[in-house]
Formats: sequence, C-alpha cells, structure tokens
Amino acid sequence: MEWLIWLIPLLPFVGFLLNVFVIRHERPAGLVASGLVAASFVVAVTAIAMLAGLPEEERRIISVGWEWINAGDLRVPFGIMLDPLSAVMVLLVTGVGALIHFYSIGYMHGDARVVRYFAYLNLFVTMMLFLVMGNNMLILFLGWEGVGLCSFLLIGHWFERKSAAAAAVKAFVVNRIGDAAFILAMLAIYANFGTLNFYEVTVAGEVQPGFLERVPEIIGQSFGPSWQPIALATGISFLLLIGATGKSAQFPLFVWLPDAMAGPTPVSALIHAATMVTGGVYMMTRTEALFAASPATQTWVLWVGALTALIAGTAAIAQWDIKRVLAYSTVSQLGFMVAACGMGAYVAAIFHLLTHGIFKALLFLGSGSVIHGTHDTQDMRKMGGLRTAMPTTYWTYLVGAGALAGIVPLAGFWSKDEILAHALSHNHWPQLIILFLTSLLTAFYMGRQVALVFFGTQRDTHYHAHESGRVMTVPLIVLAVGAVIGGAINLPWGHWLTDWLHPVLHEEAGSFNPVLALIATAGAVGMSYLGWWLYTSNAAKVKVGGKDPAYRYTGDIWDGLEEAWYVDRLYERVIVQPFRGLGDFLARVFDPQGIDGLVLGIGRFFGWAGAQVRELQSGYVRTYALVFTAGVVLVLSFMLIFTR
Amino acid sequence: MVPTSYYILLSAALFTIGVLGVLIRRNAIVVFMAVELMLNAANLALVAYARERLSIDGQVLVFFVITVAAAEVAVGLALLVAIFRTKRTTDVDEVSTLRG
Repeated sequence: MEWLIWLIPLLPFVGFLLNVFVIRHERPAGLVASGLVAASFVVAVTAIAMLAGLPEEERRIISVGWEWINAGDLRVPFGIMLDPLSAVMVLLVTGVGALIHFYSIGYMHGDARVVRYFAYLNLFVTMMLFLVMGNNMLILFLGWEGVGLCSFLLIGHWFERKSAAAAAVKAFVVNRIGDAAFILAMLAIYANFGTLNFYEVTVAGEVQPGFLERVPEIIGQSFGPSWQPIALATGISFLLLIGATGKSAQFPLFVWLPDAMAGPTPVSALIHAATMVTGGVYMMTRTEALFAASPATQTWVLWVGALTALIAGTAAIAQWDIKRVLAYSTVSQLGFMVAACGMGAYVAAIFHLLTHGIFKALLFLGSGSVIHGTHDTQDMRKMGGLRTAMPTTYWTYLVGAGALAGIVPLAGFWSKDEILAHALSHNHWPQLIILFLTSLLTAFYMGRQVALVFFGTQRDTHYHAHESGRVMTVPLIVLAVGAVIGGAINLPWGHWLTDWLHPVLHEEAGSFNPVLALIATAGAVGMSYLGWWLYTSNAAKVKVGGKDPAYRYTGDIWDGLEEAWYVDRLYERVIVQPFRGLGDFLARVFDPQGIDGLVLGIGRFFGWAGAQVRELQSGYVRTYALVFTAGVVLVLSFMLIFTR
Repeated sequence: MVPTSYYILLSAALFTIGVLGVLIRRNAIVVFMAVELMLNAANLALVAYARERLSIDGQVLVFFVITVAAAEVAVGLALLVAIFRTKRTTDVDEVSTLRG
C-alpha cells in the first residue's frame, strides 16, 4: 500500500527518462508522455480511494524511501506522503496535467523540438508531484526548484525568439528572490525546531518529530533588537510569504508571469495557470499552523493577496494579447487565493485553487486553440467573429469565461463566493470591497475578451480560421464539463471538500450568504454583459494597432493599466538599469583599467626592471672577470677581517 | 735555504700579473697565457707550503693542477681556433654576442 504512492511521481519520471534517452520521434514521445501521466492519475485515484477508506484521523500515508541527509543533527528522510490536502493537489496535477499532455500532441505537432518539450513536461509533472507530496521542507523545495527549472526551460522552448529567452531568464531571476526567502525560512525552521519534517515520521525505527505539530513551542519567542522584538512565528511565516509571492506571482513579484506567456500555450495552461503558480498557495496552506501563530503575517498575506488581485485585475482589462489577458487574470485569481489564506480560509483557497486550475487551464487551452486556428495570431484586434469558424472552442471558452467571471452555477462562482463570504463573515471590509471590485473587473474583461475574439466580424482577413483537431477539442470538452460541475465538490450545502480536508486544516464550513451571492452574481452578469456589449457595439472602432474603445472614457489611465501600473517599468528604472549601469562600469571601466591595470602593471614593472638589469650583461669577458675578481677580493678581505 | 716567504711573495706577484693580464689584455692568447700564469702561481704557493710543512699533500695536488691545466689548454685552444675561424680575430672584446 505504502509503495503505491511512489508510483505517482515516478511514472512521469520514467516518461522523462524515456523521452530524454530513448525516444527520438514526435509521435511516441507524445503518447508515452501523456500515457504515463494518465497512468499516474489512475494510480493517484486508486491510492486516494484507499486513503478515503481509512478512518479520518489516520488519513496520512507516509512512505520513507531512504535517509536522504544524515549530517550531525540534520536528518532528512526522502519521504513522500499522501494526505487529504496532497490528494486533491495530486488529482489536479495529474488530471489536468494528463489532459494538457494530450492536447500538446495536437498543439505541438510539427514543432522542431517536440521530444524535448514532452521530456520537460514530464519532468515538470514529476517535480510538481514531489512539491505537493513531500513530507518535509527540503522535498517541497526540491519540487519547488524543479518546477522553477522546468518553467524556465519551457518558457524558453522557442529560444530562437529573443523575447522568449528573455522572458525565461526573467521568470527564473524573479523567482530566485522568493526562493532565497524560502531557503532562509527553511534554515529558521531547522534552527528552531531541529527538523524539517512536516509531520512525525519513523525512519529505521527511530521517531523523527514534525515541526507543524510543534508550532506551539515557539509561540511567545522572539528575536531581533530589544526595542523592536519580532515574534519568531512572524519571522518564519513572513519569509514563507515572500517565497510564495515569487512562485505564486504576487505583488510585488508578479511581473514575470505575463512575460512567461512567451512559452507554448499548453505550458502556460499547465505551469502558469493550473499548477506551478499555485505552489505558493499550497505551501502556505501546508504550513498554515505557522501562519496561524502570527496575526501580523496574516494581515500582510491578506493585503498582498487583495492588492495583487486588484492590480492584476485592472491590468487584465486593458490587454490586447489574448494570452496576456489570461495571464493577468491568473495573477488576479492567485491574489484571491492568497487573500483567502490571509483570512484563514484555507479550504476556500484550496477550493478556488482547484476550480481555477480547471477553468483557467480550459481558458488557456481554448486560447491555444484560437492561436492554433488563426495561424499564430495573438492580438485580439486581429480576431473577431471566430464563433462560426471554431464552434467547439467557442462554446467551451464561453463556459470557462463564465466560470471565471463567477456566473451561477459554474465552478468559479462557488469558490469565489466562498472567499467573499468568508471575508464578509469575518469583517474584512476593505479587502472584501477590493475583492468584490476585482470580481466585477474579472467579469468585465472576460466579456470583453469573448466579444473581441468570438463576436463581430474577422478584422484581419489574412488568415483562414479553422477549428482545431479532435486531440485538442476533446480535452477542452472534458475541462468544460469540469468547469461546470467542479463547484459541486464544495457546495454550501454538503461542503464535501471542507470535510475531506478537515483532518489537515481542521476548518469548519463557512456560512453561505445568499445576499452576497445574489449581489455577486448580479454584478458578474451585469459586468460580463457590459464588457460584451461595449466591445460588440464598438467592434468597428477596434483597429489593428489602434486604441481601445474604452480609451475615450478613461484617457491615459488606460495606458497605465495596459502596463500594469508601470510596475515593470519601475523595476526597469530602479533595479535593472542601475544594475546594467554597474555591470557596464565594471566591464568597460573597472575591468580594463582597474583589474587589467593592476595585472598588466605588475608585468610591465618586471619588464622594465629586466631591461634595466640586462644593461649589466655587456658580453665583455673582462668585465665579467673584473666583477669576479672584485668579488673574490671582497670575500677574502671579509674573511681576513672578521674570521680571524 | 731560501725562506718560504720569498716563494710566497713571488707567487703573489705572478698571480697579480696573471689577474691584470686577464683584465687588461684583449688578445685571447695572451689572456690565456695569463690564466696559465695564475695557475702556476698557485702551484708555486702549494709546493712552497708543502716544503715548509714537510707534507707531501701539496706536492701531489700540484700534479693534479698541472694535469687539469693541460686539459684546459687543449679545450681553450680548440675554442680559440673555432672563434678565429668564425670571427677572423682573437680579440675577446669582439666576441660579445652574449650581451644582454
């Protein structure tokens, strides 16, 4: 039984190895990659069925492979686990992952590096599974860095394009900031608890403690200067928050995610919408005990999430690139999840994570289908009227957009409503207002996008739009079904997910507020319609390379929104350019003049000294003889005088 | 009997003449002869002290010096011939190709 859970991450890893070392052709690569992820999904379902058969308090299967690190007091077993929280994440990763693998067979057909693509995709799934199944911080970190690496490799899949290579580097570098904080948090946890395990585990007959069970020990402890002590729990959880802002693309580190759209669209769906970017939310949920011990950090988490949601939501309404709308929307929805974590509504965060994983993957795959069918067109100004040419894509996209906008009874409505209801019932008024406004914006930009892409007439007629093949539309249909019924896992009456996660999170079901739900629904429908109406009635004014119709109401604010409040440009000015300047100074001034001056100067000095000394070497025998004689005379007289 | 100091003085005088010959003269053959003069001045000093101390060691050493000197002359003259063949001169100042 225990060994079964090892199959879940190892099957995709086998796919990775096969694709790297054995397979050389496109067709077997795609089939092996998707087949093994699907097999992993089947194993996961089996394992979770067994997990569900256990009594509630025993629902945690931990399996230790071997002792990974054993250095002095530091003992890290290579152990993975399956508990209710890991289980739902594993289902999302393998389920949505398998669909995206299948979809990739169609989307990447004819690409020059398909085998490599599938190898990286398999490696990504492996690493993501280690991230969600690790029983200690170090394995979580292994997965955390592994998915970051795969994200880098896959964003840069088309590295011939300079923008893709730059976006890959940007994603990697921005993530490093969060990773550095994560490492510090890990060190702090080890220093204070003496262990990195989440839960108690028995290795070779020896019981190792888990820090999540020992959090009460550090409550009340503090560090820092005596005039401003910082609670230990606050220090650790704040570092973890910074780690999460990097991986989950939160303010102020969200700038990498919109650029990451340079990668292939299935990659955006899998890594930059459904799974990797939710790693931060998962990590905060897993270490929820630490966050609960620090109200100060909780407030930060809440504000970071709410502000991110608003900033990204406003940025999403002004984008022209079909994928950038979705990218900012993803950042915004991640803000919802983080805000839910900040409110202590971890079940709501995970619920939204799951439904968002489904409908955002659907939207990205739908946009991929559009891009595929319009021959690599991404600018929505060049689209329009595609609903007749691509009916399946249109209907499934509509479902995804409705779910994201929060239309009853699609999945997104239930999860978003649970977050808003929690904010209301716990009196987080400012955040509630921000999140509510953001959900209105969400509905608006989805209405806008649907109108721009699928309604009106085709504005750029240089291409002939066509529906994508079966291998791409079937995953769309499956995900669309998921987006319709996904909310059923945690309906206000029934709340199955809350019960399922109860052994891990010990949370009671939140209260359902019919008034709020009604207002939210009315707002969502109204704003969707407004967005749809504004861009269908003004469709004639949308020109390739032209301004948005909304520009005449907002003026230059619209440009600011399009640039995401100029956060990127701020970094460009404040960090990137000074850094480049420093690099330039070092390369062009300091190195040639300072370092080279020193090194060459030493060489030149000895050259000069040698030139001086070689004058002595006259070549005349008698000069040498004279010096020789003088030397003998000197030595002899010395001996005569001093050594008598 | 002639006192030892006379021999030593003569030896010193010969040695000095030899040194000056090496330092001052430019003809390689003369320089060579001056070197021989120094060697023989040393030989003279050796036998003088050997007689003074009634020891055979110094006298034996002289034979070695004479042998080595003979070998040295052979090598030195061969070098001289070689230099003369290439430079057409025996002036040591002309042979300064090792100048730095």
